[in-house]
Amino acid sequence: MSPSRVGAITKRILQQFRRDHRTLGLLFGAPLVILALLGYLLRGGGDVPKMGIVNLDSGPLGGIVASTLESSKTVSASSMSPTDANGRLRSGDIAGYVLLPSNFSAKAQQSRLIAPEIHLEGSQPGLSQSILQAVSQSFVGLAGQAGGIQFMPRISFLYGGPSFDTLDYFGAAFIGLVVFFLVFVITAVAFLRERGQGTLERLMASPLRRAEIVLGYMLGFTVLALVQSAEVLAFSLLVLHVHNVGNVALIFVLEALMAIAAVNLGIFLSMFARTEFQAVQFIPLVIVPQVLLAGIIFPISTEPGPLQALSRVLPLTYAVEGLRNIMIKGADLTWSSLQLDLGVVLGFCVLVILAGATTLRRRVA
Amino acid sequence: MATDTYAVEVEGVAKRFGKQPALDGISLSIRRGEVYGLLGPNGAGKTTLIRSLVGLVAPEQGTVTVLGRRMPQLAVLARVGYMTQQAALYPDLSAEENVRFFGAIHGRENGVREALEFVELWDRRKSVVSTLSGGMRTRCSLACALVHKPDLLLLDEPTVGVDPQLRVQLWDGFRKMAAGGTAIVVSSHVMDEAERCDRLGLIRFGKLLAEGTVAEIKTRAGVDRLEDAFLKLSEVSS
Repeated sequence: MSPSRVGAITKRILQQFRRDHRTLGLLFGAPLVILALLGYLLRGGGDVPKMGIVNLDSGPLGGIVASTLESSKTVSASSMSPTDANGRLRSGDIAGYVLLPSNFSAKAQQSRLIAPEIHLEGSQPGLSQSILQAVSQSFVGLAGQAGGIQFMPRISFLYGGPSFDTLDYFGAAFIGLVVFFLVFVITAVAFLRERGQGTLERLMASPLRRAEIVLGYMLGFTVLALVQSAEVLAFSLLVLHVHNVGNVALIFVLEALMAIAAVNLGIFLSMFARTEFQAVQFIPLVIVPQVLLAGIIFPISTEPGPLQALSRVLPLTYAVEGLRNIMIKGADLTWSSLQLDLGVVLGFCVLVILAGATTLRRRVA
Repeated sequence: MATDTYAVEVEGVAKRFGKQPALDGISLSIRRGEVYGLLGPNGAGKTTLIRSLVGLVAPEQGTVTVLGRRMPQLAVLARVGYMTQQAALYPDLSAEENVRFFGAIHGRENGVREALEFVELWDRRKSVVSTLSGGMRTRCSLACALVHKPDLLLLDEPTVGVDPQLRVQLWDGFRKMAAGGTAIVVSSHVMDEAERCDRLGLIRFGKLLAEGTVAEIKTRAGVDRLEDAFLKLSEVSS
């Protein structure tokens, strides 16, 4: 072992990086950006889950519970009428509500039983958990006053149910994400290989039009992407038994749109990379922030305000929302929320197709 | 008249990369059926000139006319074959698949066998390109450039890495194509190859230093060997 030979390699690596400013920027910049984003997301004073209180109690206890809940810091609770609560639950405006029946006080005093109805939207387990916790905490005070009281809430779910687990919730989002991510990386690298091995130069010196190149690429990779989408979907539904109440064909359409968008995003972004190495660097820049902000892990409704605005412009947000709408809520094409999701994803597809075709000319000329 | 006789007409073409002039007001004409050699040291502007013929380089000044059409124009590229310096091929495809692909994008599906036989790769047609030797890749790349029977064939250092025996055969083939009316532009810094061209253009610093047949150039420089002529003419001008 010769120290000078080892040293030569070490030195060469550092020299290479000195000239590759983009990699340096990524190496030292990206971790800070991602951590800052994560920090802001978790500690940025995001909104707490919204819930409703329907107090029909003819006795005094309902009022106490309501005011305890309203002053809670873990949820943002407000009083409303039963029909209002039901409507807002369905529109997704509130994540749940607690209904205190007219005999609430009477029952608590006579049979030492606290039996509120808790209605949960159910599609986001994190939010449901927060609400259940806040509600049970608001009864701790009562229990202390009376002593020996049993807490037996009746919980109902609008979507999902008690057996609805984390995989059911994430599964819907991941079906889209896996396809989007892999197709993006494969296309970007393939297109850069075309540039690196000189064949792109040949293509540009042929009678091929730019649109023909982009379209040909798109169709080729779309075939692969569709097969992959079908495989992922079949595995999720048949092997993992991910919760699905929606139309499988509709899920596939949304997946396919994402795959097409990913193909074209790959072509477009590969124009801004010289090497395959640089293409892979787009992952922390393009993919990670989307994964954090698209509502896959953290519900968008509880993000800090500015991040909510950012989430609302990310196409992945709509794709994830669309998949959840279909799979968890059983949405079909008549739902305006699903129309919006599909529309945004479709619009994004068109945008990246155009972007890919335009940049191709600029870089080759 | 001019557009019928000439396959290539370059007039006062200039192109800079940054501050470095790659082509500096170059003008030349190449006839149909002619084998024209572009001769010059590394970095003289040979490749840039060839790239400007297929519209990959947009000149800042001057005009390029190919097969009677003012460039850039896509349709005329169907009649042009371009072999890049690097053997630009798809390494995961077989030799035959590569040739067929380049034929197809130029609008010609047949002629694959002919092209592969021309470069003596028909027996190896099923081999995946990444398993071929450097010389074989160069030959495969050449087959890709001529599979569609172009009227203008641009070859950027075509015989690098090809053994002498096959090189002679390839040149026989080029001569046959030229006899059939194809104009061939060959860039090279190998004098042996230059000797085989009908006419030569000596390029340095993006300028045309001298042009003519091998004999004319030797006479002009007053030397017997083309290599000496090239060195001498380069000196005079710089």
